[in-house]
Amino acid sequence: MPNNIHNENEKLLKIFAGIRCLNKDQLPRYLEGRLTDVEKHLVEQHLVDCDLCAEALLALQQEGLMEQYPSLSTGIQQYIRESIKPVSQVHKMEHYARKVKQRESMLIYFWLAAFILGGGALLFSISQYNGHKPAAARTAVPVVSASVASPAPPPAAVPVDSTQLQSSHKPATLAAAANPAAPAPVIPAVKKDTVKAAPTVKKPIVDSAAKKPPVAAPKPPDSSKKVADKPKENTAVAAKPAAKDTPAAQIVKSKEKENDKKDDNDNKPKTGANAAPATSGKVDTDEYLYKAAMVYQQHGDLDEAISRYKHLSGTSNSRVSEMARYQMAVCYRSKGQMGKAKRMFKEVVRMDGTMKQAAQQALDNM
Amino acid sequence: MYQQLSNLSDRELISRARKLKDREAEGVLLERYSHLMVAVCLPYLKKNPGTGAQTVFPQLLQRLSNGLKVQSIQKANEWVHQTIKTYFAQPEKQVPYYPSRESRDRLHTENRVEKAANNTIEKQALIAQVKTAIAKLGNDDRYLMEQFYLENKTFADLAAQKGTTVDKIRNQLKKAKSRLATQLTN
Repeated sequence: MPNNIHNENEKLLKIFAGIRCLNKDQLPRYLEGRLTDVEKHLVEQHLVDCDLCAEALLALQQEGLMEQYPSLSTGIQQYIRESIKPVSQVHKMEHYARKVKQRESMLIYFWLAAFILGGGALLFSISQYNGHKPAAARTAVPVVSASVASPAPPPAAVPVDSTQLQSSHKPATLAAAANPAAPAPVIPAVKKDTVKAAPTVKKPIVDSAAKKPPVAAPKPPDSSKKVADKPKENTAVAAKPAAKDTPAAQIVKSKEKENDKKDDNDNKPKTGANAAPATSGKVDTDEYLYKAAMVYQQHGDLDEAISRYKHLSGTSNSRVSEMARYQMAVCYRSKGQMGKAKRMFKEVVRMDGTMKQAAQQALDNM
Repeated sequence: MYQQLSNLSDRELISRARKLKDREAEGVLLERYSHLMVAVCLPYLKKNPGTGAQTVFPQLLQRLSNGLKVQSIQKANEWVHQTIKTYFAQPEKQVPYYPSRESRDRLHTENRVEKAANNTIEKQALIAQVKTAIAKLGNDDRYLMEQFYLENKTFADLAAQKGTTVDKIRNQLKKAKSRLATQLTN
């Protein structure tokens, strides 16, 4: 009994069992009554739901239609296979070709991107290299000025630094403003006079105005300390150039000194009243130009700084001229042009100004 | 590949044809119903001698192929049958396939039975529901259902017992099943 009940329950659920449509083989067999009982019952269960199969069976039961059915059904199957499969193959080929194209284009994009990145990296490295070079020079300059050339530069370097910190653009703008006016008197002086002749010719004119008031007064404590720390060295250093100098140069120097003394004595009343106001304007311009050149040097534009120092080296202001030569020598040394640097340092030593000791030290260290 | 596809169900083939744009799956599906299409179309071709099989079947297949891409098809046999009907009724107009209410109820119940196949509790609950639904049917319908599904009688036997045609017995059974499905769904 429980088995019967179980079977009955299963049969109840089979009312809603999903059964496939009659296949190509079952259709004629059902019509001809060549199906087994189970198969026939399954087909009829499906026929209850399926209008397509029921209508197909009804149609095939009509006279004359059954004869057309086999040829037409094989024909349509062939048509489907022919129309679908070649298309499918073509589709597959297209898909494959598209994939290959995509891969190729991706490769092209990859190489393009790699090339662009490589180029960018190269440019960046070049710019970094270029930017690094002056930075090294920038770091080298203070070290040199602090350690080697400490005694002399402070009077000029300290005011430049302070003005730079306060207003970094000021010297540049001032230099730009001063440029049109300043080079007019300076350039011909540089072009006409040779570098060696410049100090000897100019000195007597400017010495009275430039040497005395500004240079002598602000001697920084650093220089005096360092000088005090190494007195022996300094004396030795000071002695060396004297020994090295030729007798002619010594004669020139002694003459210059005598001239200076004479000028001082003669012009004392004059310079105090008349010469100072006349030269002060030019001195200021030279100072500004010197500061502007210093700015260029500190920014790493050594060539521009050198050209500006060159202009200044021919100026009538001997102090500025000396400083300009000294800084020009430092620039040449930073650029690695040791021959030119040595020559400039020697010139500074020969000028026998406040920078003499520093220049001599620099020469000894080279 | 063809063998593998021919073993798939209609739903899987439709899904492949739609989502993967698999033309082979589409071909297998259409081929599965092609002989039934031919059989259904034969009376129409006989009635209209001007329309040849060479024009009707490609057009029909094209229409089915187009419909497969855009329509949501729950039962492939109903979709093919409706497409053929609408093609011969309105050859120029492409009417979209939409399943009837009875068809959706039947499909829903079929899905429930399929799900309950491995769940005994759900199966028992469903059997109880079917029994109650059958009890609510009319005497004639209930008798036919019991004879056909429980006693495994054929259409011919039932037609002979009732003294009617096989087609009428089939229609009556279909209606009774639809009523049953509607009761179970609601």
